[in-house]
Amino acid sequence: MIKHHPTFELLKAFVAGDLPASLSAGVAIHADMCDVCQQQIAQLTEQVAEEHFKVEENLLNRFNVDEQQSLEQLPVNNFENMIADITASNNIRVIPAQKEKTISFKGNNYLLPRALHNMTLGKTAHIGKLSRLRMQLNENEIHTSLLHIEPGGGVPEHTHKGFELTLLLEGSFADEKGAYVKGDFIMLDASRKHHPISNQGCLCYTVANDALHFTQGINKLLNPISTFIY
Amino acid sequence: MQTNLLYQETNAKSIKMLDEIEHSKLCLWLQDVAENRNKQAFTHLFNFFAPKILRISRTKFSNEALACEVVQETMSNVWRKAHLFNADKGAATTWVYTVMRNVTFDMLRKIKGNKEDTLSEDIWPINEPVANEDESYEDHLAHDNLLKVIDTLPQAQQEVVKGFYLLEMSQEQLAKQLNLPLGTIKSRLRLALAKLKVQLGDYHD
Ligand SMILES: [Zn+2]
Repeated sequence: MIKHHPTFELLKAFVAGDLPASLSAGVAIHADMCDVCQQQIAQLTEQVAEEHFKVEENLLNRFNVDEQQSLEQLPVNNFENMIADITASNNIRVIPAQKEKTISFKGNNYLLPRALHNMTLGKTAHIGKLSRLRMQLNENEIHTSLLHIEPGGGVPEHTHKGFELTLLLEGSFADEKGAYVKGDFIMLDASRKHHPISNQGCLCYTVANDALHFTQGINKLLNPISTFIY
Repeated sequence: MQTNLLYQETNAKSIKMLDEIEHSKLCLWLQDVAENRNKQAFTHLFNFFAPKILRISRTKFSNEALACEVVQETMSNVWRKAHLFNADKGAATTWVYTVMRNVTFDMLRKIKGNKEDTLSEDIWPINEPVANEDESYEDHLAHDNLLKVIDTLPQAQQEVVKGFYLLEMSQEQLAKQLNLPLGTIKSRLRLALAKLKVQLGDYHD
């Protein structure tokens, strides 16, 4: 059962459209697997919409919404033209049924979540039991990837300077705090060290806004390649 | 005493009810656009939403042209995608909000110099994939013609509904025009609304 969910604040920002694409997709994928969050998102969306489009007293007046000052800036002619423009076309948008997309790591095929369907995918790189495929979202210091761990593999103990989201798409893994299952939305901040290991193997969607920093013994030697993983 | 109590009760309810009536009005316009490509209904929707969308967009884009583009793009999607709106799933305001938020999201991504990708519809899908899109659309056209349904209402309700939904008169204006008490207008609207909802299949869960 899913135990880890996005915070309320994160859901609110998601509904408002204020999160970067990487995190928005993460919340969307989680909500597809989690009825609790899906319902909360539906409720929040309804509330925000209600707030934005409050019914004014006099619907007859097109401009009643705005203050006098912005009334003067309203492009009245623009609006008339817009209506004419828009309704001149009789095309309706036919949306084709969603096709399934799959992605393959080390000979295993996985369904690609819908939220990732149109993201530009980079090449897959491998190191030991880890494979990483970077999504090219151009969000500066935010790095988004699919991380595949073969059975018995893991990520050496590390911290990072910013946040790190790990969303389990398939399989399971465990760290010092416990075990995680498909759908878990695990957001760590900079203070948390962790060392995830996957006995059965797993596929994760990861978003991190800084390179990892390996903290222990020989693993410190890994620091030059830490940017590889997340 | 009795009358007073009754009056108070109706009064308290009418505030809430008005909201519901306004919601239903938007919903009917949207369905009218979807089913009949009705430009008048679209103009009503435009007049309701466009100024609000513009106001909201101005807080997200400093550039007036871009704020206007959000209005144009959102309302154009409303026109082209109205058939994807499902009244059973939520209010018209929620649906239009989703369309606007998606347009804004994709535009902001473009502007921040990231990408010309359109991710919003994958993240916040506004449609349910329908296998036989064309057939079900035709089906809708044949059966759910809003105007036809309105014509089946009793004459007294028809007057009120046509004035309110199609001519966009306020309830107060209607009361004056028809020389009826406001309460009568409200209750006729409420009755008519209930019937329209049943006829348009709002309640088949
Ligand atoms: Zn959840």
